[in-house]
Order: sequence, then structure tokens, then C-alpha cells
Amino acid sequence: MFYELYLVYQFIIKFFKEVFLPPYEGKEIMRQCYQVGYRSLALISLTGFITGIVFTKQSRPSLAEFGATSWLPSLVGIALLRTLAPLLTALISAGKVGSSIGAELGSMKVTEQIDAMEVSATNPFKFLVVSRVLATTITIPILTFYTALVGLLGSFVNVAMFEETSFSGFISSSLESITFLDIIASTIKAILFGFTIGMVGCYQGFNSSKGTEGVGKAANSSVVIGMFLVFIEEVLATQITFLFRT
Amino acid sequence: MTEIADKKRGITVGIFIFIGLAIFLIGILTLGGQKKTFVKSFTVNVVFDDIQGLKVGNNVWFSGVKVGTIKKIQFFGTSQVQVFLSIEEAAHQYIHKDAKASINSDGLIGNKIIVIDGGSPKFPFVEDGDRLQVNKTLSTDDMMKTLQTNNKNLVDITTDFKILARNLVEGKGAAGALLADEQIAEDFKAMVANLETTAVSTNKMAKELNSFTAKMNTKGGLADKLFTDTAVFAKLESSVNEFQQTATAAAKLTENLKAASAKLNANDNALGLMLNDKQTAEQLKVIMRNLETSSQKLDEDLEALQHNFLLRGYFKKKAKEEAK
Repeated sequence: MFYELYLVYQFIIKFFKEVFLPPYEGKEIMRQCYQVGYRSLALISLTGFITGIVFTKQSRPSLAEFGATSWLPSLVGIALLRTLAPLLTALISAGKVGSSIGAELGSMKVTEQIDAMEVSATNPFKFLVVSRVLATTITIPILTFYTALVGLLGSFVNVAMFEETSFSGFISSSLESITFLDIIASTIKAILFGFTIGMVGCYQGFNSSKGTEGVGKAANSSVVIGMFLVFIEEVLATQITFLFRT
Repeated sequence: MTEIADKKRGITVGIFIFIGLAIFLIGILTLGGQKKTFVKSFTVNVVFDDIQGLKVGNNVWFSGVKVGTIKKIQFFGTSQVQVFLSIEEAAHQYIHKDAKASINSDGLIGNKIIVIDGGSPKFPFVEDGDRLQVNKTLSTDDMMKTLQTNNKNLVDITTDFKILARNLVEGKGAAGALLADEQIAEDFKAMVANLETTAVSTNKMAKELNSFTAKMNTKGGLADKLFTDTAVFAKLESSVNEFQQTATAAAKLTENLKAASAKLNANDNALGLMLNDKQTAEQLKVIMRNLETSSQKLDEDLEALQHNFLLRGYFKKKAKEEAK
């Protein structure tokens, strides 16, 4: 286990070494951004919209007991921008993107395509790992912004059904209890989640073995470990943000 | 073909990232606008004894408008707390140096806020670094203390009511007896019935009195004349005087009659003797009988005398003259 941790450490260090060194694989990074970001947008948007509606609908009775339904936008704003948007995006991405990266790199490893790249003087780590990790690190925060906006839209749809409010008034109320610290913390969290998902997927795929069984295992491990680490990071990030808040 | 696809993909990714970053920036700008982050501001401070859980970032209101936020909170002196308020420059021209700040709540259970009143125009406007005075208001704790006192009073009152109710149920005291004793209740019922009858009678009487007074007030009526016509009054006075004189005369007459009747009852006079003495009455009867007999005999004697030769001529002569 400790050896495994050492290998992970080495993998991360290698990433940071390769990321700044040329040649830069711009086209591959862009292609991965397209796959990871744009191709996930519909799924993420739908999930975010439904989450906004459901969260608002579920919170309404509790607030209505106190006659505080006017606090719904504020409550949804806090929940979405502080936690739900980054976490939801990360979990969806861990399932969709993490497994995809794990399976793709795993099958490449098993079919010795990675070895072939090395033979053809192409740096497989830079081409396969750095591009994918950068893509997830860039696009998951962007997807988080989309999720937050679409989630607020979903919440607004529900609120507008029961209370007379304008979208600008709703957004204003949503941001009432939000601080810059919340926005910065969420952005950093999303970047961290993206990096983690990319790293876990690439590591599991890059180090897969035992033929096709290894590919499945790599895909599965990418999702499970990715999600697990996302939750651990969420807890730590919340604690650290709380320290800054007080 | 691959290059075109790559370009298309690149544009899509570019738009995707651009819109994502735009959402982020708009969010930041909206938040900054709300928090007055990008607005030129000045700082004033207030020293409170108790800030009631006020936090950095809480809002500052002036006349119900958000004009700033709490920038910093620190202890001051032995136990006071100094709060620094970041207020937007636009509100500068409305806040005077004598303005007072108080800690309030955004709604009943909302966030704590600082509320500033504008102060009087006699004083100049506040400047950066000025200290505002504190306007002490009733805190929730104070209200709870008052409520607690009210609660205790309420408990005392309900306890008294409990005792009162028990006494009433057990028939103790005047009110209890009134409720519990059936005889009193019956009496009370009868009393109420009587009162009702009396009320009806009184009502009727009042109506009649009303009618009577209306009649009295009728113009030209007897009562009206009595009260208003002086000539009638004078006549009435005169009549009363005459009536009085008549009454006096009648009284004297009565006295005389009384004296006469007393004499008639006495035996010391002729009439009294005649009315009261049986013997005298008998004698009178005999006298009357004798007189009657005497007059019959005299009548016969006179008849005989008319036929006497001495007087016969006189009577014949008288008859002839009467016949003429």
C-alpha cells in the first residue's frame, strides 16, 4: 500500500514536470477538453437543472413552516454555489470521464499502444496523461459554473411557480449570503476535483495489467477511487474554508 | 478533413470555455455589485457594549437601503467591541456626524445588521475614520426578560382564577352562594321577573305621563291657561277667596245648627221639651184632640147661629152682594 502511494506520488511529480516542459500537446488538450467538457455539458446541465428544482421543492415545506419561503433563493444559492455545483459536477464527471479515461488508457496499455508510442519517440505520458489531466482540470471548473447557473435556473422555475419574483430579484437574493470566499473556494475545489478525476483515471489506466480484465478494473477503480477522493477533498475543503470564514 | 474537424472542435471548445468563464465573471461582478466591493467607500467605526453576534460581511442599512458592510470587528477597551463599517461614498452626503448606529435584525430571525439614522442637518457630514454614536435599542434578550415577567404575572393571575373558580364551584362566598343555592336562584329569578313587570309598568306609566304632559302643553288647554294666562289665575284666586269665605260662613252656620240641635236635644226649652219629653207629647196630643172636638162643636154652634133670627138678615144681605 505504501509502495502504491509512492508510485502515485511519483506519477503526480512526473505530471508537474511534464506539464511545463515543451513540446505542448495543444491539439490533444483541445480534443480532450471537447470530450471531457463539451460532451458532458448536456448531461451536467440536465442534472444541475433537476437538482435545482428538486432541492428547492424539498426545502420549501421546512421553510414554509417558519413562513420563510422568501429565504429559498438564499438557501439554494448557498447550497449550490458552496457545495452542490462542484460536487455534483465532479461526481458526474468521475462516472462519465474518469471511467472513460481509465478504460481508454487501460486498453492502450494492454494492447501495448503506449509502448509503441515510446518506440516512435512520442512521450506517451505527455500526450496521454498531461493532456487528459489538464483537460479535466480546466473543464470541470467550467462545467461547475454551468451547473451552478443551470441549477439556479431550475430553482427559479420552482420558485416562480409559487412566488411572484423576477429572475434578477431571484439571483440577487441567491447571492445575498454568498461571499467571494465561497466563489473562490468552490472554484479551487472544482479545479482540485478535476485534477483528481483526471489523475486517478490516468493512473489507473496507465498502470493497468492482466489483459481485458485489467481494463475493466482500471475503469471501475477510476470511478470508485475518483469519487471517494472527491468526497474526502470536499470534507477537507469545507474545513479549510470554514477556517478562513471565521 | 481532419483539420476542419479539429478547427470545428477547437471553436466549440473555445465557445464552451468562453461562456463558462463569462458566467463566472458575471457572477463575480454581480456579487461584487451586491457587496459594494467595486464601489468607492469610506470607513467609520462604532463602539458597542454587545454586538449580539454581528459578523464581518453583515450589511449596513441607512433608511432601509443597504449602503455598506461590516469590514472589521475587534475588542475595544476592557469589554467593548469596535466595529468598522465600510460605507459607499454615495451615501456620504446623507450621513451626518451626529448619526447614530444600532444593531438590528434583518427580519425576526434574520441576519444581524447595523442600522444608521441620518442625524440632523445642523451637523456636517461624516468623514473617513469618524466614530458614530450608539443608539441603544431593545435587544431580543430585553424583550425576553419582559416576556418572562409577563409570564410570571400570567401564572399568578391564573392561580388566583383557579382559587376563585374552586370557591365558586364549592359555593363559597357571596358569588358562590349565588351560583350554588337553589333558593337564592329562585328568589333571584322571581326578583328578575318582578323587575321585568316593574319595568313594563314603568314603561307604561312613562308613556302615560308623556301623553299627559303633552296634553298639558297643548295650547289653549286648561293646564296651559293655568300656567300661562294671568287673567284666569286672578279669577281663580278670587274664586278661591270667595270659596274660602263661603266655607267660613258654612262653618259658622254649622256651628249654629249644632247649637240649635243641642238645644233641641235639651229639655230646658219648649221645643226641646216637646221633642224629647213623652209626657209633654201625650199632653199635647190630648190638647190637640180637645181642640179638634172644640172646633167641631164651635162649627156646629156657628151654623146654628147663622140660622138665628137675630143674625139671619146679615147673612142674607152678604149673600146678595156676593151674588152681584
